[in-house]
Amino acid sequence: MLSNLQSMQDQLNNCAHLRRIGRLFSETVQLIVDGEEFYLTFEKGALVDITQGPSRKTPWRFSFRTDCEALEKHWQAVPEPGFHDVFGLVKIGRGQIEGDILSLVKNLRFFKEFLALPRKGNTQ
Amino acid sequence: MTAAIEPIVGRYVTVQLNDGPRRVYFEEAGQGCPVICLHTAGADTRQWRHLMNDAEVTNQNRLIAFDMPWHGKSLPPEGFETQEYLLTTEAYIETVLAVCDALGLEKPILAGCSMGGRIALQLAALHPDRFAGFIAIEASDFQPAWYDIDWFHRPDAHGGEMGAALVSANISPYAPVAERWNTLWMFMQSGPGVFRGDLSFYTKDDSLIARLGQIDTAKTPVHLIVGAYDLTCTPEDAARTAKAIPGATLAVMDELGHFPMSEHPKGFRPFFLAALGKMTN
Repeated sequence: MLSNLQSMQDQLNNCAHLRRIGRLFSETVQLIVDGEEFYLTFEKGALVDITQGPSRKTPWRFSFRTDCEALEKHWQAVPEPGFHDVFGLVKIGRGQIEGDILSLVKNLRFFKEFLALPRKGNTQ
Repeated sequence: MTAAIEPIVGRYVTVQLNDGPRRVYFEEAGQGCPVICLHTAGADTRQWRHLMNDAEVTNQNRLIAFDMPWHGKSLPPEGFETQEYLLTTEAYIETVLAVCDALGLEKPILAGCSMGGRIALQLAALHPDRFAGFIAIEASDFQPAWYDIDWFHRPDAHGGEMGAALVSANISPYAPVAERWNTLWMFMQSGPGVFRGDLSFYTKDDSLIARLGQIDTAKTPVHLIVGAYDLTCTPEDAARTAKAIPGATLAVMDELGHFPMSEHPKGFRPFFLAALGKMTN
């Protein structure tokens, strides 16, 4: 998962349009995949740090918990129903959001497009 | 270069509602059987433009779509600046019937999507004599909100952009990219608090549940259509609703989402034509 996140970091930081959408987003997001914790620190829409957990000392704004298989399905060129969206994963019980959900909703397009960066055929 | 002028014609009509007049924008195309088309929450008549430009649809049908007050080109009522917009079942029904009266429509088919589908089923239960049949798209008996509708009307964020980001969850990955974003653009453009006010109706009024059984499909056919990628009104929600209406029929679109006529017009077209074919009692 770490290599995936590092690849996403490169993609994001080289994607001008996504950086523009996220220009007001400077937060740390907790991502948990199959129980493995990552802390993603964004600064003005750039992903500046990826720290592996576990950590009880790292403050985060919101958390997204899912599993590797669900993410792999999310990243298919044409995902199955439910796997096609972050809230779809939540709806089918393969994702869980905690924390300041309003912060997520205010930056929802940015976070969704960031999480979909590895999708096959994604041209961003 | 040849100009590509579309057959859609837009006009305005002022209708009188119980609490005052509303200047309503409507568009139409085609000739024949009148079909009133209702847009979803937070959007406007543009969702129907593909079908209204489709000669195979309009050669026997007169499609008419109107912007609900507060939406698109229909202004809010006078004094809106001190009002909180909250759509109700009663106001929605009154508006649809007033527009039908103002346009002199006798027993049109009613086709509505999402909240438009919900009100189509309310009208099927309460005013069936006014219509020839009901096409309820992405419509269900009731959908409580899994989100906070107040997210979409606040001074520190753009409700339209947040609303668009939320409803993008309901668009199928099969949808052409351009139409995905055209669909979302309408949400981005909706007025402050309008999406929230529509969602208030859609997520809080469960009065349809008790009325479904009184719909008489022998007199006015009811056909439901639902997309597999719709997270808001899932195929399970639509199936539950159809099951509660004796004689109602249901079609599931495997490759479409919550805004089928807008997000993927080619994919939706055969389902809409099939639905029109069922409205022939």
